[in-house]
Amino acid sequence: MASESRRDLILAAMIRVVGSKGYKETSVADVIEEAGTSRTTFYKHFEDKHECFIAAYEMLVERVFAEVVASCNGSEDWLQRVKSGLATIVELFALDPELARTAVVEVAAAGAEARQLHWNAVARFTQYLEGGRELSGGRELPDNISLMSAGAVSGLIFDELLAGRATQLPALLPDLLFAMLVPYIGPSAAAEEMRRVAPTAS
Amino acid sequence: MRIAAEKGYAATTIADLTREAGISRTTFYEMFDDKEACFLAAYDRVVDALVRRVTVAYEAEEGWPNRARAGLAELLEALAEEPEVARLALIDVSAAGPAAQRRYRAALQRLTPFFEEGRDFAPGGRNLPANTSRMAIGAVAGLIADEVSEGRAEYLSGLLSDVLFATLMPYIGPEAAAREVGERAR
Repeated sequence: MASESRRDLILAAMIRVVGSKGYKETSVADVIEEAGTSRTTFYKHFEDKHECFIAAYEMLVERVFAEVVASCNGSEDWLQRVKSGLATIVELFALDPELARTAVVEVAAAGAEARQLHWNAVARFTQYLEGGRELSGGRELPDNISLMSAGAVSGLIFDELLAGRATQLPALLPDLLFAMLVPYIGPSAAAEEMRRVAPTAS
Repeated sequence: MRIAAEKGYAATTIADLTREAGISRTTFYEMFDDKEACFLAAYDRVVDALVRRVTVAYEAEEGWPNRARAGLAELLEALAEEPEVARLALIDVSAAGPAAQRRYRAALQRLTPFFEEGRDFAPGGRNLPANTSRMAIGAVAGLIADEVSEGRAEYLSGLLSDVLFATLMPYIGPEAAAREVGERAR
């Protein structure tokens, strides 16, 4: 097997093991067992557990981001892009609760560098989905607006995952949509859009 | 809490704690099962004190935007007074395990009543999502945590306009929120 794909196997194993056991309880032994590789192979690619986790996390973010971009499919319609992007994230997380837990909850236990990666990723997602400041009709919004949306959306997702309700995340989609839209279109229009994506309305 | 704030939670030992408190190991274990139990108890005390201060400031004012502004100003000031504690309470708490993470999220939710008053204040308040307060709290917590993790906890008071906007906006909309914030900017 090529060295590159062994490395990828280890990274994928890291994401799964951390998602099920927690970062602190995860050992290199757990990861190589899950990946089906040797200890030597692990240390050929990574200095230690932390370095491996950071690489795994970067891979995870790229993967989720690529899926979000693909689902938006170059849509010029901002509203549509927010809807598809958020739907892709909650569905991905619901299908793979271990990945979700690693991505959102366990990353916080993996040190300052990992937390920074997580926060950068959240900011990148919200900025991508927003790309629509012009929709605010020339209104002055604080510079921090995407940080606020990021906090609102990631707080809701974090609480669901911490409570072990990853599979129920799609039910949160209307609320997440409201949180992303409200700075631009105001509460009544955002509540209207929210009702449109609510399961009962479809 | 003091020691964990200085050394970081992971590096703190029971020996550090007993030395700082001037108590014996036996006394420590009579009171707490382990380091985590001690941390959680200390965490609750810090949060209780914060919520008390915010409540007093909030209730001293009339009208939701004024009350929210006073409560948030007090919260920022309290955190800025003790930057290490702010860091521990908002950032490092995640390193202390799932129980501590749940305590952190629960602590945030204790602010819910202050936010939910916005529902009565807002014209279409009843039509807003049930999770509106959680969104606003998430936005405020995100802004504060970002500042603290950048090592700017002492300057948190400079964030007042932004956190007030983040609080009011989901309830009354961006224009009205900007207006209310602008009227109170000094």
